[in-house]
Amino acid sequence: MTASILTVDDSASLRMAIRIALTGAGYAVTEAVDGADGLAKATGTRFDMIVTDLNMPNMDGLSMIRALREQPAQAGIPIIFLSTESDADMKAQAKAAGATGWLVKPFQPDQLIRVAQKVLGK
Amino acid sequence: MSEDPTATFRVEAGELLEQVEQGLLDLGHRLGDMALVNAVFRGLHTLKGSGAMFGFDALAAFTHHCESAFDRVRKGEVPATAELVSVILSARDHMAALVDGDAPKAEGDAILARLAAAVDAARGGGAGAAASAAVPAAQGWKMFFRLPADAMANGTNPLMLLDELRDLGEAEVRVRTDALPPLSELIPNECHLGWDVTLRGDISREAIEDVFIFVMDDMTLEIAPLGDEAPAEPVVVEDAPAVVAAAIEAAAPVAAAAGGPPAAAQPAVENVRVPAERLDALMDRVGELVIAQSRLSQLANNRHDLLLRSVTEDIERLAGELRDTMMVLRMVPVSSLFGRFRRLIHDLARETGKSIELQTSGETTEVDKTVIERLFDPLVHIIRNSCDHGLEAPADRLAAGKSETGLVKLSAHQAGGEVLITIVDDGRGIDRDRVRAKGEANGLIEPGQQLADEELFGLIFHPGFSTAAQVTNLSGRGVGMDVVKRTIESLRGSISVTSEAGKGSTITLRIPLTLAIIEGLLVRVGESRYVLPLSAVEECLELSLEEDLRSRGRSLITLRDRLVPFVRLRDLFGTGTRPDPHQKIVVVATGRERVGLVVDQIIGNHQTVIKSLSAFHRGVGSFSGATILGDGNVALILDVAQLVAMAQPREETLRAAS
Amino acid sequence: MPQAKQRAEAAMAAADTDWNERGELEVLTFDVGGETLALEATMVREILDLLPETLVPGAPALVRHVVNFRGRIVPVADLRLAFAMEAAETTPDSRIVVIELPIDGEQTLIGLRTDHVREVATLSAGASEEAPVVGMRWQRDYVRRLVRWRDDLIILPDLSAIFAAVLSPRP
Repeated sequence: MTASILTVDDSASLRMAIRIALTGAGYAVTEAVDGADGLAKATGTRFDMIVTDLNMPNMDGLSMIRALREQPAQAGIPIIFLSTESDADMKAQAKAAGATGWLVKPFQPDQLIRVAQKVLGK
Repeated sequence: MSEDPTATFRVEAGELLEQVEQGLLDLGHRLGDMALVNAVFRGLHTLKGSGAMFGFDALAAFTHHCESAFDRVRKGEVPATAELVSVILSARDHMAALVDGDAPKAEGDAILARLAAAVDAARGGGAGAAASAAVPAAQGWKMFFRLPADAMANGTNPLMLLDELRDLGEAEVRVRTDALPPLSELIPNECHLGWDVTLRGDISREAIEDVFIFVMDDMTLEIAPLGDEAPAEPVVVEDAPAVVAAAIEAAAPVAAAAGGPPAAAQPAVENVRVPAERLDALMDRVGELVIAQSRLSQLANNRHDLLLRSVTEDIERLAGELRDTMMVLRMVPVSSLFGRFRRLIHDLARETGKSIELQTSGETTEVDKTVIERLFDPLVHIIRNSCDHGLEAPADRLAAGKSETGLVKLSAHQAGGEVLITIVDDGRGIDRDRVRAKGEANGLIEPGQQLADEELFGLIFHPGFSTAAQVTNLSGRGVGMDVVKRTIESLRGSISVTSEAGKGSTITLRIPLTLAIIEGLLVRVGESRYVLPLSAVEECLELSLEEDLRSRGRSLITLRDRLVPFVRLRDLFGTGTRPDPHQKIVVVATGRERVGLVVDQIIGNHQTVIKSLSAFHRGVGSFSGATILGDGNVALILDVAQLVAMAQPREETLRAAS
Repeated sequence: MPQAKQRAEAAMAAADTDWNERGELEVLTFDVGGETLALEATMVREILDLLPETLVPGAPALVRHVVNFRGRIVPVADLRLAFAMEAAETTPDSRIVVIELPIDGEQTLIGLRTDHVREVATLSAGASEEAPVVGMRWQRDYVRRLVRWRDDLIILPDLSAIFAAVLSPRP
């Protein structure tokens, strides 16, 4: 079964890059334009993985991750966050919020795919 | 919104290259500053990564070499040298060309050859650091790991980690259940198992740590090489960020710097990037709204409908606030402008063989973005002049008891509705005698005529005036200070010079904060209405009938014991109308020059949204733009600088009149 | 196909006019000073009723006024002056045809004063001829082609040449 991935990012170009990389690797991709949109799209369903930016308008990534983890139905779903400033502090905050792992921008398509394979299995 | 990641990358790349350039220029002054080395490295690294991500392979490949060189500097293997900085600066230019997709490969190869030579030379001079010893290949590893209790809830699947370890080599896995709580207390989401793994094969420790990268911070991981029969020394991962960085070095440019000096503090402000055209379009709409609103106000004032009036007042207030907000959106700090001159100074120093230091201050001062764009060329010219003519050769400076390095100071600060930009050099100063001689030779002044400094230096701005004994490569490019003055005046600004022999010169530009909307004075001449920028208006007077009659045929009027030239706009515009019985004079000024403009009526203040004129009317001279009045009609905006210049009488006329 | 060849030649001769591959050109026709002029329909942005005009003192006679066209300051050109036609009062039929044209390297909106806007028509390159060397009241380089259409002879003016003359007056 095709794994479904939700990508949450306010940058259309980045969503596009992520979509191209992941669909190319055989995943189904749903897009959300900000944290609120991401939360709305994820609630009531179960994606196999969520890739989200942290710095977004209308609910940032950290708040979205926290809100998702409060829903029992979202437990165990790998959530990967994208960050440009990969300072330890940001990572710690995201991890504390319930993120699974991270990917530092800029990334190559194969780095994204490697992360997807890492958390979803090959 | 553009769906083209490439276009986005181009914008990003431009900014990165700018940062790299700034970093390099700073580094040129402080070669030992590791924070700068790290900043440049990060910039190059990000550029390479994004470049490859968006298909700029040539850029990524080229940048890779520069990044590698800087990586060695960063690791202390090679010291930063002036030559290395200089080569990377050239490389930066090549990268910019690669981003634009128009870079000759030969040029890139030549730069890389220079780069290799620079690195070799630097290494020869610096301490040849030993290459970091590679971790000896092991037969394998013995490890124990335990995940944090919430790892599974947070999306980490231990089975995937075990699969990954198995992918690395032959693995023997045993589970430890010693930490399991009693069944009654067990929460199924929590992970209390531990695993002993023996992994055989030629596997690097990094590869193993890579498997645990996302959970490294809070997990227990003990690793020891196989064959070490001594009790395994537990490796407690404390220095997590550094290890993580080593593990996914390619994916984590900034993490790589976590152990180094902190990056420049970024204010925690969310920014939205908007193309300038959209801002301009929005500004146009706001301008139209302001105009429509003033029409509405006019209509409402003619009716006795209180409700309509109250709504109109609300809209008036909102439109005003919107306009003010819009103005702020258009403001950008002058740092974006000043930053561009550091490269210029670097190049000028090379060209002239002078040692030049640029000091900037007040970079956070904000100016309308259109003003910033139009200030660039005049400032280039002024700075070139300062470096070329102002600053002396190093030997002359030493002889004059100055430091060898010439100083150019560029500063900005806001004063009221204006921004003052000053360019100061500590060079030889302007040679008054030469300016005077030149002015006399060109017939601009009478021989022996007494002149205040301001008037004397003002000659520099006269068209065709140039004091350079010889036209040099730098300043003699056909653009004179007169063009600089015109450009500044077209921004409704002014320029002035002071200078002290042997000490240097100061050029001061006064620029209005914004161009798009001005406070105007609406006047009527004949049947047409015109707008004067209120900032240029000094006073408004009545032209008495006798004064009017007495001044017939003359173009000067006595104003508080001063003779002021004046222009009858009715005559200038050929209205063919009879003058109103009570003519008014609006005295306008640029700098010290003033002129009285005779109009038929002063209507009042007017919020003026400036619109540009087409190519047909831009050259007409008396007008700097147009605006739309409350009734929808167009009013032209008078170009005060032009009118003042036009009305300045010749010296002889002045003398004859006095 | 001699006719096609002739059309092709005509099209070549009028290289600055974008006849399509069938040698046709879609135009808007309008009257100015008793003549019928035509301009490429692609050039036309809008047809307006007369607007209050503002005189620009000192401006070239051909473009002496500006109007407010949706918040933009648009110069108004009187082509009568380019073709040495008599000045005339405006009539209820008078309109301003707003066109867009590169002037001095930038896309510029220009309002053209017309006595009457006729229709959108399809002209044929085969029915067009060069402006004659003699017997014409107008400056020859102001006319791209003369085109027969129904019973009329329509002028395809060369606006670039006309407006260039205003930008850099001949010495």
